[in-house]
Amino acid sequence: MKIIGLADDEVDKDLRAAGIGMSVAEARSIAAVLGRDPTLPELFNYDAMWSEHCSYKSSRATLKEFLPTDGPNVVMGPVEDAGIVAIDDEWCVVISHESHNHPSQILPNEGAATGIGGIVRDVNCMGAKVVATADPLRFGDPYGPSANKVRWVAEGVVDGIWQYGDALGVPIMAGDIVFDESFDNNCLVNVVAIGVVKKDEIIRSRAPLGAGEGGYDVILVGKPTDSSGLGGVVFASEALREEEEATNRGAVQIPDPFLKNILFKANEDLFRLVREEGVEIGFKDLGGGGFTCASSEMGAAGGFGMELDLDLMHTAGEFPPEVLCIAETQERFLIISPPEHRERILEIYNKDWDLPGAAGAKASVVGKICTHDRYIVRDKGEKVIDVPIQHLTGGIRYERESKPRKIDLFEPDLVMPEDMNAVMLKLLSSPNIASREHVYRYYDTEVQGNARIRPGEADAGLIVPVRGKGFGIALAVDSNPFYGRISPYWAGATAVAEAMRNVACIGATPSTLTDCLNFGNPEKPEAFWEFREATRGLADSAKRLWLKGYPGQPVPIVSGNVSFYNEAPEGSIDPSPVVACVGIISDAEKAVTMELKEAKDRIYLIGRRYDELGGSEYYREIFNETGANVPQVRFEEERAMIHATIDAIDRGLAVSAHDISNGGLAISTSEMAIAQEVRLGLDLEIDGCGDASLSSDRLLFSESSGILLEVPANRAKELEELIRGFNLEPFDLGSVTDEAKLVIKRRGAPLIDLDLAEARDAWTSGLEEAIE
Amino acid sequence: MRIAVIQFPGTNCEHETLVAVRDAGMDGEIFRWNRPEQELSEFDGYIVPGGFSYQDRLRAGVIASKEPVMATLKEEAAEGKPVIGICNGFQILVESGMLPGSGEIDLALAQNVMVKGGRIVRRGYYCGWTTLRHESLPRRSCGSFLLDGGALLQMPIAHAEGNLVTAKEGLIQELADEDQVIFRYCNSSGTAVDEFPVNVNGSTENIAGICNPEGNVLGMMPHPERAIFSWQLPPPGRRPPGPGPGRMVFESMRRFIEVSR
Amino acid sequence: MRINLRIWLKIPDAEAATVKNTLVRRMGFEGVIDDVRRERLYSIEADVGNPWRLVKHIVRELVNENKEECLVSIDELDLDDGYVPVKVGLHIEDGEAISAKNRLVRRLGLSAVKRVERSNIWKLYIRSDEREAVAEEIARKLLINPNKDSYEILRARARAVGMRQ
Repeated sequence: MKIIGLADDEVDKDLRAAGIGMSVAEARSIAAVLGRDPTLPELFNYDAMWSEHCSYKSSRATLKEFLPTDGPNVVMGPVEDAGIVAIDDEWCVVISHESHNHPSQILPNEGAATGIGGIVRDVNCMGAKVVATADPLRFGDPYGPSANKVRWVAEGVVDGIWQYGDALGVPIMAGDIVFDESFDNNCLVNVVAIGVVKKDEIIRSRAPLGAGEGGYDVILVGKPTDSSGLGGVVFASEALREEEEATNRGAVQIPDPFLKNILFKANEDLFRLVREEGVEIGFKDLGGGGFTCASSEMGAAGGFGMELDLDLMHTAGEFPPEVLCIAETQERFLIISPPEHRERILEIYNKDWDLPGAAGAKASVVGKICTHDRYIVRDKGEKVIDVPIQHLTGGIRYERESKPRKIDLFEPDLVMPEDMNAVMLKLLSSPNIASREHVYRYYDTEVQGNARIRPGEADAGLIVPVRGKGFGIALAVDSNPFYGRISPYWAGATAVAEAMRNVACIGATPSTLTDCLNFGNPEKPEAFWEFREATRGLADSAKRLWLKGYPGQPVPIVSGNVSFYNEAPEGSIDPSPVVACVGIISDAEKAVTMELKEAKDRIYLIGRRYDELGGSEYYREIFNETGANVPQVRFEEERAMIHATIDAIDRGLAVSAHDISNGGLAISTSEMAIAQEVRLGLDLEIDGCGDASLSSDRLLFSESSGILLEVPANRAKELEELIRGFNLEPFDLGSVTDEAKLVIKRRGAPLIDLDLAEARDAWTSGLEEAIE
Repeated sequence: MRIAVIQFPGTNCEHETLVAVRDAGMDGEIFRWNRPEQELSEFDGYIVPGGFSYQDRLRAGVIASKEPVMATLKEEAAEGKPVIGICNGFQILVESGMLPGSGEIDLALAQNVMVKGGRIVRRGYYCGWTTLRHESLPRRSCGSFLLDGGALLQMPIAHAEGNLVTAKEGLIQELADEDQVIFRYCNSSGTAVDEFPVNVNGSTENIAGICNPEGNVLGMMPHPERAIFSWQLPPPGRRPPGPGPGRMVFESMRRFIEVSR
Repeated sequence: MRINLRIWLKIPDAEAATVKNTLVRRMGFEGVIDDVRRERLYSIEADVGNPWRLVKHIVRELVNENKEECLVSIDELDLDDGYVPVKVGLHIEDGEAISAKNRLVRRLGLSAVKRVERSNIWKLYIRSDEREAVAEEIARKLLINPNKDSYEILRARARAVGMRQ
């Protein structure tokens, strides 16, 4: 394509006409490096590689500035498709976190399914067995002006998740769902996957040492390449406009969990082969940017060039070279391996697992690694791409402008309702608090036989993935968009704190964090400011809450993703820094749930109540207000709470635990009583757990951080001592009763006297009504 | 004593099933569908595990039921060797005519329909724990050989199509009369309430598992291999110590093989 | 009136390919069956004068344009020649048809929709002098489980309509 010598407007016209999204300046810089006009396939390749999604061109500087990615347990930080942290001397957990927001808004089922499909590939390609996934979901207001669309999206997304995850055979162990009108036109579908691998069996996504000298094969495995998802990467980086939905549909990929299931088993045989033969290979999944992205990144990471021949690729038909290079056909992997193992590797995929017969797929040798520094692609005998590989993968950087958004929110002047029981029932059945059972019954939590704590039983899921080993891996996700609306900084900080509290509340020690940062258009200074603030907030929490046992060391963030352009002409989403936390518990037998255990046990609160109801369920559901006093993270106190809870559970002092989040103290205590069938009740006195001047409704519904612990009465003193040892104040709230009632008093006067059977009915019906 | 865990494309429970086989004191291996089918004869018993064979294309289990390996499996079953089909494995055995055993397709496992108070409250896929009541006599089937009549067992289900229906008149009564109904869904005190969530998928008369007239072929929708250790049972912290109830199914298979030798 | 909504995949139909593969490789129909294609059919009874506005809403709800194409006809099914069409539906209650109807009526407020039936039309391209007999055999041996499904070979009338085109 002619660039050199043409005026800017002519180049711009030609780029748009060809369907290439890059700027004229970007195109010119490519021509300058090549010293000639680039070919059309070259431009398409650069366009994909330099997209926001592949290159993080807007976000990289901010991420580098704030996020702590290293720590004593880190085996591999965020350099490849997934991060890795050590569990013990032998085993590691592999984690990856991505978004699939835009595709899911257009085609909820396929979008959500391919989201899972992509994230499990990211984990598997490190040589790991994928053992769990989690899905943080954000939908619009199911009772608002876009209710039909919102419900259509929600239903499709949930179907896509279970249909893919269940068929693949990976349990879905955690997740959350938040409804908020800012997601009416832009849902969020984030996906997290974790896997386990032995430290000495990790496989890297790069051309191994000696690959160039040895002329290693480049082998493409999986579904025949077609044009599906073409432009998907570019698409994931641009704001959605309603009229473009129809044309954008072509950009969504088609999921195939059946083929993925077979590929995973064949990959296991590949991993076994390289272990037994003691050879090092490179292995990577094909995701955004397709064949070009996977191949060039692997070559560049190894410091080599490569030569590829599209005529050798198995395809679903005749396609131009730029399509074959960047199409996002699902269920594909790339192997870089020594030629002497070629026959055996092809045999694993094509004969043993009969990819052609069973699933219409294949493994093909498509090129080789070279010692030069070029990325060369041939098509029908002709050289169509010949560019410096490091330049292609190096991407570009933008310094985006950041300007604080003017947030015009204030604390409302409210009159406390008379009937607090009615308030409780309304909150319990509200879409954001109601039980998630209706959804998680679609998720196969039992496949692989590792489930120890399931969705709905506690604040985090727990699996015991290695037979003969006692350790468990806990997983939780969090982010509150209503806090983000008030303060992106505190949204980031509280997301980290709550995800860590969730993990601590089953007795596991937070080991690593991942983030998926969902924001609007970064070219708008206010949106970019939100992104920076949220990132700063979550980084501050990660740094100041410490890896337990390593004072001063941050909890490392080993994987993450940035999703910009989550906006429609009607407006942007609320800032949503979604965080996942992995925790390790060395003896999974000690883990606890949130359900009340025994009458006469005592209930303790750690974490004082403050006037922090900004963004709370109470303000929004009861008064239709947002407020301004967003919950903050008091880092010293928060750290002490998390560490005290872990120790209390480890010593058997806390027999159940639940963190305080949406709905505050009143909702969290009731959840402990109704999480499973109602057997027990609570009789609590809350005066003293906040300032005397705080009104009773603020004490009940403030969303300030806190943790509730149930302790056998005869061990209450021990628990108090433990809590005091962390410089925290233990609040003895009262006791578990054998009457199915929640009684909450202040200075002896009842505020709430709620029938728990009725409470459970309200709580279990709310979600189904919202998405039916 | 060697057990083949038969793996089709799309199977996803073969590994935990093999763990259960070994845990019950048997040898076993995963037998890939495209291995030479005559090698199947070398085994003493067979399990067709759960999953989504051929992605449930056309309908759950039917495509796998036409594979050559299934013809061999029928011959081995005719010899009296034990065969247990779990979840998708049960669907495959029904589609192949091995259950209830006439050689014809006398049953279907249709889409789950959850009925409560006369109203349909949910349909389709469901994952959750159920209680099973052993309906038959000890020694009646290869997978319930060691179970007492009326024994209660906690196991999970995870399927979209487990609603057992038939168009063959009198078949359900006949299965009950011949003690071929091995498991029914019941509540925690052992009553087979025909209503969700006890009857978790709408199955005719709460039937969760059946055997052939000879008792050497058993099919069941719940997953015993996910309940072989007590720690696997919910809720954590409130469960009896010792092995899980699912292990009895595999230990039964072992005992069945021992006495039929 | 009856709105017939026929939907087929524009991407490769893995299910139809698997059925063909099974017939050819596992069930002895090699040389008999040339191809197998599949359409989903919604037969929607509606109480409406001019159906086309309603059809637009229905298509938007039931057809996934990313991967499917569709054809709508009123009352008659306009099938082509060249294959034997075998219609397979449930004779037990069809939950998916009920939920499709609920979506149309409750969520979209299309109260003109009175009844929704759902079936598959298997288009069997058969090389034989007795094409319908072969189709019967395939339906009985593979396409249906008689305990829940029923089938119907759509004979001359439907195809005569197709030939009128």
